[in-house]
Amino acid sequence: MSVVAHEAKESAWRSRELRLGPLALTLPAVLGLIVFFLAPLAAFVLYSFLTAGLFSVSGPLTLDAYRQAVSSGVNGTLAVNSFVVGICAASVTLAVSLPIAYWLRYAAGRWQTLVLFLITSTLFASYLVRIYAWRSILGENGLLNSGLERLGLIDEPLSFLLYNRFSVTVALVHIFLPYVVLVLYAGLQPLTPALLESAEDLGANAWKRWRRVILPLVAAPAATAFLFVFVLSAADYVTPQFLGGTNGAMLGVRVQAAMTGVGDWPLGAALSLLMLAAFVLCYGLTALGLRLLRLDRIRFVT
Amino acid sequence: MSDRLVLEEITHRYGREVALDGVSLAIEEGELVTLLGPSGCGKTTLLRIVAGFVRPSEGRVLLEGRDVTRAAPYRRPVNMVFQRSTLFPHLDVFENVAFGLRIAGVPRGEVGGRVADALALVRLHGFERRRAHELSGGQLQRVALARALVNRPKVLLLDEPLSALDLKIRLEMEAELRRVHRETGATFVYVTHDQREALALSDRIVVINEGRVEQIGTPDEIYRAPASVFAARFVGDANVIPVEVVGADGASVTVVAGDLRLAIRRPDGLGRGPAWLVVRPQLVRLAQNGDAGVPGVVRDLAFRGTGFSYRVDVPGLPDPVKAEMSAESAPPVDVGSDVRVSWDPAACRLLPWEPGDG
Amino acid sequence: MDARRRSPFTAAVTLVALVFLFLPLVLVVLFSFHKTGGLSFPFKGFSLRWYRDTFGSFEFREALKNSAVVAVCVSVATLVLGTLAAYGISRTTSRLRGPIGLLFFLPITLPGLFIGIAMLVAFRRVELQLSLVTVAIAHFVYVFPFFLLIAKATLDRLDPALEEAAADLGASPFRVFRKVTLPQIWPILVGATSLAFALSFDEFIITFFVIGSDSTLPMYIWSSLRRTIDPSINVISTMLMLITLLLWVLAFVFTLRAGRGRARAVEPILGGEEV
Repeated sequence: MSVVAHEAKESAWRSRELRLGPLALTLPAVLGLIVFFLAPLAAFVLYSFLTAGLFSVSGPLTLDAYRQAVSSGVNGTLAVNSFVVGICAASVTLAVSLPIAYWLRYAAGRWQTLVLFLITSTLFASYLVRIYAWRSILGENGLLNSGLERLGLIDEPLSFLLYNRFSVTVALVHIFLPYVVLVLYAGLQPLTPALLESAEDLGANAWKRWRRVILPLVAAPAATAFLFVFVLSAADYVTPQFLGGTNGAMLGVRVQAAMTGVGDWPLGAALSLLMLAAFVLCYGLTALGLRLLRLDRIRFVT
Repeated sequence: MSDRLVLEEITHRYGREVALDGVSLAIEEGELVTLLGPSGCGKTTLLRIVAGFVRPSEGRVLLEGRDVTRAAPYRRPVNMVFQRSTLFPHLDVFENVAFGLRIAGVPRGEVGGRVADALALVRLHGFERRRAHELSGGQLQRVALARALVNRPKVLLLDEPLSALDLKIRLEMEAELRRVHRETGATFVYVTHDQREALALSDRIVVINEGRVEQIGTPDEIYRAPASVFAARFVGDANVIPVEVVGADGASVTVVAGDLRLAIRRPDGLGRGPAWLVVRPQLVRLAQNGDAGVPGVVRDLAFRGTGFSYRVDVPGLPDPVKAEMSAESAPPVDVGSDVRVSWDPAACRLLPWEPGDG
Repeated sequence: MDARRRSPFTAAVTLVALVFLFLPLVLVVLFSFHKTGGLSFPFKGFSLRWYRDTFGSFEFREALKNSAVVAVCVSVATLVLGTLAAYGISRTTSRLRGPIGLLFFLPITLPGLFIGIAMLVAFRRVELQLSLVTVAIAHFVYVFPFFLLIAKATLDRLDPALEEAAADLGASPFRVFRKVTLPQIWPILVGATSLAFALSFDEFIITFFVIGSDSTLPMYIWSSLRRTIDPSINVISTMLMLITLLLWVLAFVFTLRAGRGRARAVEPILGGEEV
């Protein structure tokens, strides 16, 4: 077929696409998400400005719910707790995942497939099961304490392991570690071993290679992963409920209590939106930081 | 001239497999030495041993007399240009070139000047703010060259730096490399499987086959006087004819193969028995009449721009004889024609037959 | 060639991390067989009695059934709508592509807490009774982006030349999809659906808000958790992990197979239709 005829056919095929075609296929899903996702979110935003009834809302628009949310000292403490736990969980997860992703990418050799499979297979462990497992392990009569006692390493059970921010963080790290390892491993794919050898050849020892080559190039995926863990951890309401005690109490529990316990929906909505606003702020600051450092959109050459 | 780089009895094994076997080499300051051989012969392994990425099973690497065999790559005053671009994507050209300088703690004021000089050397002045994805293949390798040379390494290693480029760019880059080498006076160790490239660039060539050094010499030496059948076949085109040495008569021997019977100056230590006769195609003459040489039939003819390449079947010889004649010297001979194949006996070489010769 | 760098530090971290990840789960499974039912060392012996008790429990069987039914419905809906949406998004050149993509992936970025309570509020507003139906709807919203991510990535990686060749030879878009696209991607679709099933089966955070009086397996675990030590939790946990593990292995095997099978799947088509 001549070049001209082929190009004519190609643009006919393309314009068929532009007219209707593929985009229409997304319609059912789009409708579904608008109805069942966007609309509820919109309603939810609206509710935060309404007056509370018992498991209902009414009446005039008001900022009462927000006033109530920010004026409570307890909420302040919980917010700080949530923030701290979120930061700790995200930091520890990232700090542990980086060496693992590095090993998988550069040092694993024929072990790579097996270890990757092992790590991803822990994703199958249910969220609740992990919480239950850690509660069983860290408790005073739990597996860790009874094991240490039997081994003669301690005389009395360690009580600081459970019902505090530490146990909540441990469980959250356990939950998010596989995700972050996978994200970082994917982020390291474009960094060829030759690239690192080049850096070494130019005088960079291991630490300098990390600082000057690996970290900058993996900054964007790492920041995304960090935010992912931070947001989902800070908003968690189940983990603190079972593992947090008083020290580890978090804002998410308050929201849940407001919605299903007390029935004060505007308060629940207001608290949630304040949290959401804080998260959006974090996303924005991170994106800005990456852009300022020119690490946000790195184009690799094959 | 002193020895910049000395390799002593380098042997390297991967499990049972021997990649390098007792390789010894001395490279002088300012030379451009090429390690030439087919894929898998060990030349890249040898280069990486010099760079420090591989620790040899046995042997030593001496840089200006200092034993660096165990030194990590970042501790050696040696830099490498890789086969594919390894420019850091998050840095612009300036920062890429400055990378080694910054790590070494070179003062800020000096960095700017040295980077500018390096970029001027590879003729990329003005490209400082560009990024890797904005550069062509040739430009990428030029930046890599600048990035390596700016550190003033004792030896510059180049691992087939042109093999990923298009032919035309490759030829331009060869000229660039020669110029840079001349202007800097640095010591280059170059690895390639392309013998044409090796002949064009090198002061000396090290022909490597299956982990062993076959021959070391200038391009001219290797071309005119290959020391082994492998070297003869690998470097430049060659006719390698199996012959029988039948008579020794003082300074000359008589060799026969089919109808061919020649008296050739006797190489040292060669006695009767099988041997190889090496003749370059450029030195083979085809005549359409006369009695010279042996009769043959033209089997193939190809136009090469500068002349014609022939393959001529000669009875008694296992492979067709390759001949090259320039367009001016004679009109082309048709396929199927009878010709007389001859060459000057002084222009060919006799090599002893080794077991394992292909 | 030295294909790997030696790095004892990172290898050690990886090993410790693997132990950290697996040990708690292994212990749960181990103690589901514990004779005395206590959750501390020493381990006094194997017994299947907790398994018998659990399977004998009506509530457990109900919860298991409900979870399965919801997961099946969600998987089917996700498969159909997700494949269509992925095809649409990846093959279109319209400017709406960006905003629609954003809409599709938004649920992943929001914590389940917010999605859950937003849907609770919305369902109550339209006076839709909270039940397994609302659970299924909520699960769909949650699972959809995961499926779409995989399906879209796969479709993006396909060679468009094959589809163009078929269209060039006169095949309608539907036939192109059926004869060229589908044979290449169906193993990945199976894998992604398996993932959707697993995600729905295990979902709790959103389910908590939109479920009515019914129970799903995670809800059943939750209510057991609120009571004090109950050995049956180990059993249920082990069951849940086993089911989702099998689904993950299925997903993994199918996506691996897709990588190898793609070339084979396309050959007969190319061989027949193209010169």
